[in-house]
Amino acid sequence: MKTNVKLLNVLTAFFALSAAVYGYWTYLVYSEIEVIGFAALAMLIFLTGFISFYLSRAAKNFTGPEDKLDANIEDGEAEMGFYAPWSWWPLMLGIGSAISFTSLAVGWWMFAIGLPFSILALIGFVFEHSRGQHAH
Amino acid sequence: MISPAKKSKGQIVVDWLTTTDHKKIGYLYLITSFVYFMIAGVMALLIRAQLAMPGLTIVQTKEQYNQLFTMHGTIMLLMFATPLFAGFANVLMPVQIGAPDVAFPRLNAMAYWFYFFGSFIAVAGFFTPQGAASFGWFAYAPLSSTTFSPGLGGDLWVFGLALSGFGTILGGVNFITTIITMRAPGMTMFRMPIFTWNTLVTSILVIMAFPPFAAALFALGADRKFGAHIFDPANGGPMLWQHLFWFFGHPEVYILALPFFGIVSEIFPVFSRKPVFGYRTLIYATIAIAALSMTVWAHHMYVTGSVLLPFFALTTMLIAVPTGVKIFNWIGTMWRGSITFETPMLWSLGFLTTFIFGGLTGVILSSPVLDFHLSDSYFVVAHFHYVVFGTVVFAMFAGFYFWWPKFTGKMLNERLGKIHFWLLFFGFHITFLIQHWLGVAGMPRRYYTYLEGDGFTWMNQVSSVGAILLGLSMIPFLWNVWITSRKGVKVEMNDPWGYGRSLEWATASPFPRHNFTSIPRIRSESPAFDLNHPEFASPEAKALSTERKK
Repeated sequence: MKTNVKLLNVLTAFFALSAAVYGYWTYLVYSEIEVIGFAALAMLIFLTGFISFYLSRAAKNFTGPEDKLDANIEDGEAEMGFYAPWSWWPLMLGIGSAISFTSLAVGWWMFAIGLPFSILALIGFVFEHSRGQHAH
Repeated sequence: MISPAKKSKGQIVVDWLTTTDHKKIGYLYLITSFVYFMIAGVMALLIRAQLAMPGLTIVQTKEQYNQLFTMHGTIMLLMFATPLFAGFANVLMPVQIGAPDVAFPRLNAMAYWFYFFGSFIAVAGFFTPQGAASFGWFAYAPLSSTTFSPGLGGDLWVFGLALSGFGTILGGVNFITTIITMRAPGMTMFRMPIFTWNTLVTSILVIMAFPPFAAALFALGADRKFGAHIFDPANGGPMLWQHLFWFFGHPEVYILALPFFGIVSEIFPVFSRKPVFGYRTLIYATIAIAALSMTVWAHHMYVTGSVLLPFFALTTMLIAVPTGVKIFNWIGTMWRGSITFETPMLWSLGFLTTFIFGGLTGVILSSPVLDFHLSDSYFVVAHFHYVVFGTVVFAMFAGFYFWWPKFTGKMLNERLGKIHFWLLFFGFHITFLIQHWLGVAGMPRRYYTYLEGDGFTWMNQVSSVGAILLGLSMIPFLWNVWITSRKGVKVEMNDPWGYGRSLEWATASPFPRHNFTSIPRIRSESPAFDLNHPEFASPEAKALSTERKK
């Protein structure tokens, strides 16, 4: 975790520096900031900064065996969590999205098919293994 | 799943359609992208046929020619090379970190289907009356507007790529989460194989570069279909598009390159019988390339005359430094090693030589004064084919020959592999080396034909002959795949190459359903090597396994 946070912090710092240099330099040359590139670079600061912030919070009181140099395989969790052995819903969601995206190019009538299909597929995807109150 | 009982054809189809197994999804990516590689390859052959002589009309209309090069570029970059990364990363990355699957198996499957359908939609333009998109793969405004490029093909291209792009983003998120949360105990970040590191960094690049592209595509779609004026020249739209597109487009080049650098970084140590030279510097170089690649986009836009030339020239030249570090490390890995030339090593060396050429012409093009003369000439075409073909295709075949026993349980034929390599190597260099001079002589890219008196004829002929050889080189490979599946001998060992280093060589070939029946102890970046050759394990690994700290 710490390595990941460090990596993202380095990237954040680099983008901050780049955005500052790029913004200032374009200001010097054109007497106004070149706004497209500056905005794009500035948004990267938030992207990497946000992930690094989240990870540093999540890692605060936690070092998993994957970050220990001398951990053995049996130090890991025996239970890795629940894994769907197979699922129809990714394909259904793919088909629904494909129809919806094609409708943007072809015509709205396709959207009337694609949207309900996608919503159904999304519900199926989300609730496939849900047991509601009676969670696993 | 448990019983190896024979399945009916229907069961096999359902199995693949509903799979959430990262390896099967990876194979789906690899197969689909290879099919697109061959489709776009045929398009390239048509283009080369058209240019073989002045004044030919093999491609009937100029519009069709435009469609061919547009879709050749689009397919090769976004339907072949990018999903090829997702394929290799899906199959190998979880195994290399000792995980049973990826973090989000169903999301992973969904990402594949987004790519599958999105690519199909974009290519489906060929089935419309006006044909596919014809505005070049970077769709410059205002050429990509409905005024200059009317037709359904362009719309399908825009929205198909948007859908496929979402698939790529979701795939990237999945890879990042998997690497952060699912490493086996003892698999610290600085023990991960280089390929896994590069997958992580590439995925970070994906989530930085693809969202602006998706946004730009939707904006272009709004212009084309809903009468918006976002890329209208009256509001400075062309520059907006170019900035947004290349803000995606340049990192995209590194999204293609980095995972394939990772593949050869896995192969060089195995066939040099030495640990990778400068493990950490390779990783730092990867990170440096990723960071810098976000700041170089406008070197594609020098000739617009309205970008900050010194900034982009500086960053572009800087990025040659970490790339040079990598080349230095690969050579250092081979230096004084006991090198053998099995096919994976041969392909990796082919990669190295080809890529160095492309890198050097890249430095030439990074200089604005030179770029002004060479931009949009065949010099640029030669440059990026050396870079992208050099990395993606050479490293892809290196990876195929290297990991085929892991994918299928059978080794590909070495002799056919070598024939394949030499045909492709010479085919490639004959096709593209001459194009540097063609560019210097002044032949612009994307022209339908040229005149007798231009003096381009013999160079184009050399190039087209090379392209035939390049096309033919696929035959031994396809034959090899076929003959191996029919008559290949089963590999019974975990590590058929004998000196495999990362965890995929410590499990059965082909992989069991959840990758491992048991994982060896991880004490260095080469756990499989430490397991199989304990006498040569790194001193650090030895010390850690004898006396276990608390």
